Amino acid sequence: MLRFFVGRLLQSIPVIFIVITATFFLVRAAPGGPFDAEKTLSPEVIERLNERYNLDAPMYEQYFDYLGHLAQGDFGPSFRYTNRTVTEMIYAGLPITFELAIYAIMIALVIGIFAGMLAAIKPNSAQDYIPMSLAMTGICMPSFLLGPLLVLVFGIWLQWLPVSGWGYSPGDKILPAITLGSTYAAYIARLTRGGMLEILSQDYIRTAKAKGLPMATIIIRHALRGGLSPVVAFLGPAIAGLLAGSFVVETIFQIPGLGRFYVQAAFNRDYTMILGTTILLSCLIVLLNMLSDLLAVWLNPRLALSNEKN
Amino acid sequence: MSLLTVNHLSIDFTTRDGTVSAVSDVSFTVDKGETLGIVGESGSGKSVSCYSLLGLIPMPPGHIKNGTAIFDGIDLLQANEKTMRQIRGKRISMIFQDPMTSLNPYMRVGQQIIEPLLQHSNMSKTAAKEKAIALLEEVGISDAANRFQQYPHEFSGGMRQRVVIAMALITEPELLIADEPTTALDVTIQAQILELIHELQQRRNIAVIFISHDLDVIKRMADRTIVMEKGHIVEQGNTQAIFDAPTQAYTQKLIASIPNSAKPEAYRFTGDQDSHFLTLNNISIAYGNKKNLFKAVDNVSLTVKQGEILGLVGESGCGKTSLSHSIVRLVDIQQGEICLQQDALEKLSIAELKGKALKATRKDIQMIFQDPYASLNPRMTVFNTLAEPLRLHGLASNAEDIKNKVLTLMQDVGLEARWANKYPHEFSGGQRQRIAIARALAVEPKLIIADEPVSALDVTIQAQILSLLLKLCQERQLTMIFISHDLAVVRYIADRTAVMNQGKIVEINDTESLYQNPSDPYTKSLLAARV
Amino acid sequence: MIDSLKEYQNLNFEQGRSLWQDAWYRLNKNKLAMLGLYVIIFFVVVSILTPWLAPYGYETQNLALGASAPSAQHWLGTDIHGRDLMTRLMYGGRISLMVGFAATAVSLVIGILWGTIAGYIGGLTDTIMMRIVDILYALPFMIFIILLMVVFGRSLLLLFLAIGLIEWLTMARIVRTQVLTLRKQEFVSAAVVTGLSHWQIIRRHIIPNVLGPVIVYITLTIPSVMLLEAFLSFLGLGIQPPQSSWGVLISGGVETMEEYPWLLVFPGLALSLTLFALNFLGDGLRDALDPRATRD
Repeated sequence: MLRFFVGRLLQSIPVIFIVITATFFLVRAAPGGPFDAEKTLSPEVIERLNERYNLDAPMYEQYFDYLGHLAQGDFGPSFRYTNRTVTEMIYAGLPITFELAIYAIMIALVIGIFAGMLAAIKPNSAQDYIPMSLAMTGICMPSFLLGPLLVLVFGIWLQWLPVSGWGYSPGDKILPAITLGSTYAAYIARLTRGGMLEILSQDYIRTAKAKGLPMATIIIRHALRGGLSPVVAFLGPAIAGLLAGSFVVETIFQIPGLGRFYVQAAFNRDYTMILGTTILLSCLIVLLNMLSDLLAVWLNPRLALSNEKN
Repeated sequence: MSLLTVNHLSIDFTTRDGTVSAVSDVSFTVDKGETLGIVGESGSGKSVSCYSLLGLIPMPPGHIKNGTAIFDGIDLLQANEKTMRQIRGKRISMIFQDPMTSLNPYMRVGQQIIEPLLQHSNMSKTAAKEKAIALLEEVGISDAANRFQQYPHEFSGGMRQRVVIAMALITEPELLIADEPTTALDVTIQAQILELIHELQQRRNIAVIFISHDLDVIKRMADRTIVMEKGHIVEQGNTQAIFDAPTQAYTQKLIASIPNSAKPEAYRFTGDQDSHFLTLNNISIAYGNKKNLFKAVDNVSLTVKQGEILGLVGESGCGKTSLSHSIVRLVDIQQGEICLQQDALEKLSIAELKGKALKATRKDIQMIFQDPYASLNPRMTVFNTLAEPLRLHGLASNAEDIKNKVLTLMQDVGLEARWANKYPHEFSGGQRQRIAIARALAVEPKLIIADEPVSALDVTIQAQILSLLLKLCQERQLTMIFISHDLAVVRYIADRTAVMNQGKIVEINDTESLYQNPSDPYTKSLLAARV
Repeated sequence: MIDSLKEYQNLNFEQGRSLWQDAWYRLNKNKLAMLGLYVIIFFVVVSILTPWLAPYGYETQNLALGASAPSAQHWLGTDIHGRDLMTRLMYGGRISLMVGFAATAVSLVIGILWGTIAGYIGGLTDTIMMRIVDILYALPFMIFIILLMVVFGRSLLLLFLAIGLIEWLTMARIVRTQVLTLRKQEFVSAAVVTGLSHWQIIRRHIIPNVLGPVIVYITLTIPSVMLLEAFLSFLGLGIQPPQSSWGVLISGGVETMEEYPWLLVFPGLALSLTLFALNFLGDGLRDALDPRATRD
């Protein structure tokens, strides 16, 4: 087990390294320099800028330079906002995005697992069809559609909740969290249902019934752990999706999180900012993916065994 | 006063194609301390009727149409969930067929064993644990205190079944239902488990319902026997009486199907005793990497005579399948030589063949596989399955010729020619095995490797396929290597028999001599384990 | 025994029902899935025929009219430039569906090749190939696509190439697992023993049996690709004007949703309806093609 943990940890190091390297060279390979868009700049100004951002140096030197700074937690200055560093902006945005993502994943897990269990306990009944139809709606109603509709109904027409902001007025976190979490709640509901149905059809559930255990005990003690393993496996991709989803949600609700900064940076071609956020988010996602893998193994001891054999 | 009285039990199942009656009008009783055997082929309703007693059949699609099952004054079929829970696992326990799947893989074995005890009594966890460890030792698990903490995947199949038995007995039930408890196990393990169940039953004076497809097992275990066919009870009575003098035609057919005789005189090998048709010299096959090498076949030599049927017997993991696969080049040998005699002078070294030469030799050696559900491509009609080898080896001149040959083949193996355009899933297990046999015969091979060809089949079907194989071998002068774990089957079909254990052939002799006078201790133990 | 050809020519052959026919029969009984199928066919046909069916030209403006609610002349209303929304939806749908289908096709080709090779050859090749997939899987592709779109400019070709390059990973995994299981099946061993070449085995025995799960996955990939495109277009990082897609229209609709809600509702409806249809069809196909259902 321990060997698997360490092995998995070591595996993510090259992945993170690939991410950093690929991102760096991709951004540097962009056709035209970062300042080409500003046609008003004089050659001297460009030269000064190039010097300031060390763009004159050979590519490999820039690369190692960047790696060196990264190691110290320094993402360099922003191209666009000359008075701010990328690190500062990340510091400002990341906690907000994190908070949003945590609310969303909580909503997704609680609602998703509950709905999925309801459906799995009595398949092909109203108790199954209603939550599953809602789940299907959640999947077919992407956040960029659901968000504006929620704003329109609850923010503008009913005026129950604020339409934008984060932490400025009471209740302004509700709509963004629901918008971001709903799709994942839907996926988790479907995964829970499928996983539970699969486990409930296993022979050892029949054994448990033959022991005279009540249904609730059978589900909690025997079925839950195996039945939720698809959900655990989905957590990694879900978190990656949530972080990407935060781009849209933060844009819709004008939340000053990392996602919105990223989208703005993409529009402004703020290369250092793009580079920094991409690297940060990628590493986060790789690490969280790894954590969800480890969690899956911890829940199912046989996985580690089969993994070691490979 | 009987412990359990079942009257007029009828159970229906709703399927895609309408309602199917799984059990109809079944009545029987079980007395205290006796063993009731229920025997029948697949689809006879033997398991369903017992599962319904504990409310374990899924409803829907299942539906109890009629009947009562009185256990100590309670009708098990009418009782509410709460009453049933107090009976299940406490007064009536079950042992299931497959010990690999009937234990929860996510839970420690110990916890699973004490679960019924904690559910049905006020016993403390420590006391339950003590009792469980004592019981584990009683069912033959050494070092029980440590094994208590392990997960099911750390146990072998036989050991798991011991755990399942301990789990079923821990609450000291009055009735134990055992559903094919040894079917998934090797012969020697099967003998041990049967002995264990018998012993425990005697010691504790529990009533047992023993369900099996295997007549020999029932004969050994049961005081009284019920014979079921297609949901009906055909015959019931004292076990000895039923086996000695069956009154019903179906029972007679069933008992006659048990292979328990020597090979029929008419089919015995009469060819050249000095023939070296297939020679295996010092074959070794290993799997895995250098660090973790597993020798499946270890320095085996063997000669097969032209026209004989050679039986190859052994338990799971003994290397018999690897050995047979090496002859058809499904696995590579690491060492040794496999030679096929072409004519008086020429010999082919099979392991070295490549390309066209290999393809040509494949025509001479064909294989019949174990699982008739997996050995046919589900998306090809019988016709295409049989036509494929004919086309590939250019054995038919035109479309008409192919059609003619395919239909003739079908008739040869006892299939009706008008079924040619049907798909495998539309056939029964026995019919599918006939298709597989026809496919092997299509290229007119000289040698056939049959890997457990009847072990997935019901006993009456098994008898039909065995006689078909005997007949075809004789008509077509085929040489066959017949692989099986079932000693009785091999005795019935093979001229000579080789016994394999741990990658080596421990004994090889004329079948009858080997059965009458085994010389190797392993062969002796195998024969002794027969029920 | 049949001795002459004449005898069996009179034979009354029983017609078998293949697993495909079985599945089709089951699918036909699933009303939601069939409805989904019809909706998809309808959208695809309309998309193909858009240039002939559209009531107005794609760029036809009626500035004097401006944004107008649905009416007899403009069934779904007009946008702020007075352009017919239905026309724009039809043209947008062409792009959305095209991205969905084309990117899925890209993923299909790569995924099937990769998965079949890895699964069929097995051993070290398989380990290496699947490790690569694992590593790529761990990468945050959504962010990479945005990066690509920023760095190389927003082009349709790049978009579906990029999306296709993500989606093939799952396809490869599904195909590989299937091939691996099939490879161990006895009928494939039987084919080897018969003397079929690897290519013949793959073509006749492996591919037809992998097709079921692949078809299901295709029906479920198309909607997820369309979502991805709409997501990017919504952010302004996907399809660029003058080209349009449902994502672009939704994005535009959001800006003016307070005053002209129909500009958000109709494009949203079009996208959701398509996603519903494809998902229902996918679920239905999964149930219909499930081998476990055929066994009993």
